[in-house]
Amino acid sequence: MGDNRKITEKRNRSYRGREITVYWKPSACIHASSCYRELIEVFNPSRRPWVDMEGAPEERIIETVNLCPTEALTWKWNEEERNSDVDRAHTNHIKWRRPELYSQSGEDEDASSLTVRVLDEGPVMVEGSFSLICGGKSTIMKNTITSFCRCGQSKSQPYCDGEHRNIRFPEGETP
Amino acid sequence: MDRNKTVIEVIDGGPLKISGSICIVEKQGGKPEDKREVYLCRCGKSASKPYCDGSHNS
Ligand code: FES
Ligand code: FES
Repeated sequence: MGDNRKITEKRNRSYRGREITVYWKPSACIHASSCYRELIEVFNPSRRPWVDMEGAPEERIIETVNLCPTEALTWKWNEEERNSDVDRAHTNHIKWRRPELYSQSGEDEDASSLTVRVLDEGPVMVEGSFSLICGGKSTIMKNTITSFCRCGQSKSQPYCDGEHRNIRFPEGETP
Repeated sequence: MDRNKTVIEVIDGGPLKISGSICIVEKQGGKPEDKREVYLCRCGKSASKPYCDGSHNS
């Protein structure tokens, strides 16, 4: 709690719309591109500012922010009371992803669970703290984001090295 | 407070076992679900992805 602000956080931005505010943390972006593939009207990296809160209805903005695989994009209601009953379906609500910015009543229980995201035709991304057991060794990983290979082709197993892009991902293949 | 109850185990020649307190999103844009234990396919051969169905043995 009450933790120090890192220098990189100076680049963080927020964009206030009518009912919601979107928070942008560039240091957390892993270029999954889901935001602009989904809603270029709002998230346009070649425009300044790159987020235009007027570009689409706010429900669409919420949906899109929820697709961000990291905490690079988060959002919250401008009306504080509404934030308290946002449920887990809204994964990128600020209360789940950036509890340090949502200091109301930090529910540590949620902060401590490991988030596991299976990317379509790509790796599985895990975020949080865990013990990793690999090749008989156990390592403690704290507040980490890492991605494990699902396609079987990575040269740096068990991690994804991007090799899945060069093959036809064996997705949904039934025998 | 610093106890890492969540464990990720890379099973040699097999799946990724994740146990503990997990919130999993099985498909991009899908609904997050809370789970206690999952075995995720690492070989690319499972017919029930993202989970392992034992096909890695074949
Ligand atoms: S999933 Fe990325 S290399 Fe296998
Ligand atoms: S790892 Fe078991 S089916 Fe792929």
